[in-house]
Amino acid sequence: MKRTVIPMGPQHPVLPEPLVLDLILEDEKVVDAVPTIGYIHRGLEMMVERVEYTEMGFVVERICGICSFMHGMGYCVSLETMMNIEVPERARWLRLIWAEISRIQSHLLWLGLGADAFGFENLFMHCWRMREEVLDIFEKTTGGRIIHSVNRIGGVKRDVSDTELAAILVRLQDLGQAFKATAEVFGSDPSIAHRLGGVGVLSAEGALAAAAVGPMARASGIATDTRLNGANLYDQIEFQPVVENAGDCLARVVVRLREIDQSIDIVRQAIDKMPKGEGQPLEIKPRGNPQGEVFTRLEQPRGEVLYYVKANGTKYLERFRARTPTFANIPAMIQLVKGCDLADVPNIILTIDPCISCTER
Amino acid sequence: MDGIAFLARVEEYHKAGWRLALINATSLMPSDELAQGAFDVVWAFAKETEFEYLRERVMPGEEVPSISASFGASFLYENEIRELFGINVTGIALDLHGQLYKTSQKVPFSPSAIRARLEANAAAGIASASATPPVAGKHA
Amino acid sequence: MANPFNLPMVRRSLRNLVSRPATRRYPTEIRPRFAGARGTLEFDVETCNYCMLCARRCPAAAITVNREARTWAIEQLTCIACGVCVDVCAKKSLTMLVTSRAVHTHAEVGPQGQRPGHEEWHSADPAVAAATAATTKAAEGAAG
Repeated sequence: MKRTVIPMGPQHPVLPEPLVLDLILEDEKVVDAVPTIGYIHRGLEMMVERVEYTEMGFVVERICGICSFMHGMGYCVSLETMMNIEVPERARWLRLIWAEISRIQSHLLWLGLGADAFGFENLFMHCWRMREEVLDIFEKTTGGRIIHSVNRIGGVKRDVSDTELAAILVRLQDLGQAFKATAEVFGSDPSIAHRLGGVGVLSAEGALAAAAVGPMARASGIATDTRLNGANLYDQIEFQPVVENAGDCLARVVVRLREIDQSIDIVRQAIDKMPKGEGQPLEIKPRGNPQGEVFTRLEQPRGEVLYYVKANGTKYLERFRARTPTFANIPAMIQLVKGCDLADVPNIILTIDPCISCTER
Repeated sequence: MDGIAFLARVEEYHKAGWRLALINATSLMPSDELAQGAFDVVWAFAKETEFEYLRERVMPGEEVPSISASFGASFLYENEIRELFGINVTGIALDLHGQLYKTSQKVPFSPSAIRARLEANAAAGIASASATPPVAGKHA
Repeated sequence: MANPFNLPMVRRSLRNLVSRPATRRYPTEIRPRFAGARGTLEFDVETCNYCMLCARRCPAAAITVNREARTWAIEQLTCIACGVCVDVCAKKSLTMLVTSRAVHTHAEVGPQGQRPGHEEWHSADPAVAAATAATTKAAEGAAG
């Protein structure tokens, strides 16, 4: 049978960032896909040669705009582990709260993009309108909507008062309520069920073989969540990983929908458990230079992110590596794309929640 | 490095249901012991809350076997370390032949390239890391 | 076959025709930023003592300070509004305003080739300033 090669990308309406997939087709079915990335490779890991370790946090949080908070947090946590700095408790709780709000913002962004990918622009606008309220919370508490710059090695820079936290919780819970109507559209609309249901099925074995992480794996029935290892105060939060079993695109949508509610609940638990009161210490300044090697794992909205930091006792790090969840999910994406129709390819690519700027740094 | 023994250990992780988490390379600067520098390569595996890693010291040009037979998802990492560091990884399942990142400077993270950049920075008076780090090649 | 006379839809369309827009009319109407937002940097040259801490700690290397010539310059387009300089300044010469920085076009290159957004201050040498003040006062005293 004759084969055609259709290059998809680097610019494509569904892709938030450039990615090239050379699709090899027989008629309308994709039989193979060859990825090329590198369109947004900025060599940020090379910046450790020129940027001191105290300032590298600002570079790291700019790896990506959607996952920005957790990048900054992961870098600071890695260096705190390496230099044995004990971060004050209120700062750790604030980081957890901000991380969960960042997850809500990221999932709302993705749900909007997912709807836009199959042309449901109205739903896209609804999701992003709600996301604006979350970004307002970030602007009020951290000073920036996307790039927050509150994480420092040894703590956080700003405090959020208890009254303001209570107000934020009320706003988030109202948002969760208002979002239910939008979430129902994802579940009940026949065109969505037709475009996403049964498309791009990833079985549990397939997910394990492809080393999938995050909602990609959880939608295939694997209950994996980096937060379960209890680090960064997650051992004091009661939650279960959100798991769906169907493994298709619709299941991945449902996982992210349910994770928004789960994150709002985690924020409620955190505000409840954190030490109350004004004027608590927020930051412990690092002394000296880091030395050694550290692995840190966090649960970003897209899955497990792994930071590897190596330092040699000078004020410049020797190596910094951020292995982001999209990097781990790309083999799974390529496996899913094989055997599907050409029209389903954009939907499948989008359901891994591709954050190519994170992948390429 | 002993390729056969290494691949056997990797296959054990695969059989026990571990997931490949990371393959990372660090360039070690040329020093008295390492005339051309070397690479410190780490293969990290995760299984739910557990996390383990294998580490090998790789010389420039030394052949590193790909672990694609056990972990198919390794091709992205291995293409990257070959393209950015110049590590000679052989037998990658999906070999992209240097077309993954398409950087303007070939092997930008190799020890010689890093040293050239750091020395150029020092000559131009730009503050940057030292081209002869104090603990060359030693892990804490 | 879909119903072309979908009544709720028709009602909504007619209502939208006559009601006010649901969105803000940007750029004529701009939402004011919240208090505490990180916008632009403002510098007070009177209080600066040229310790150069801000220039050393700036992650983006946007600040240049020359202690001998007593000049302080910032590249506003390089500034990432992180706020580190505001925190380290012992004299509180720097403040973070909530308004976003002004938009610059490439046509605004300065006479010495300064980039758009380049802002520079120069403060007089304190010894010279004191001497000038003394002579001015003496002149006023003699005249008055």
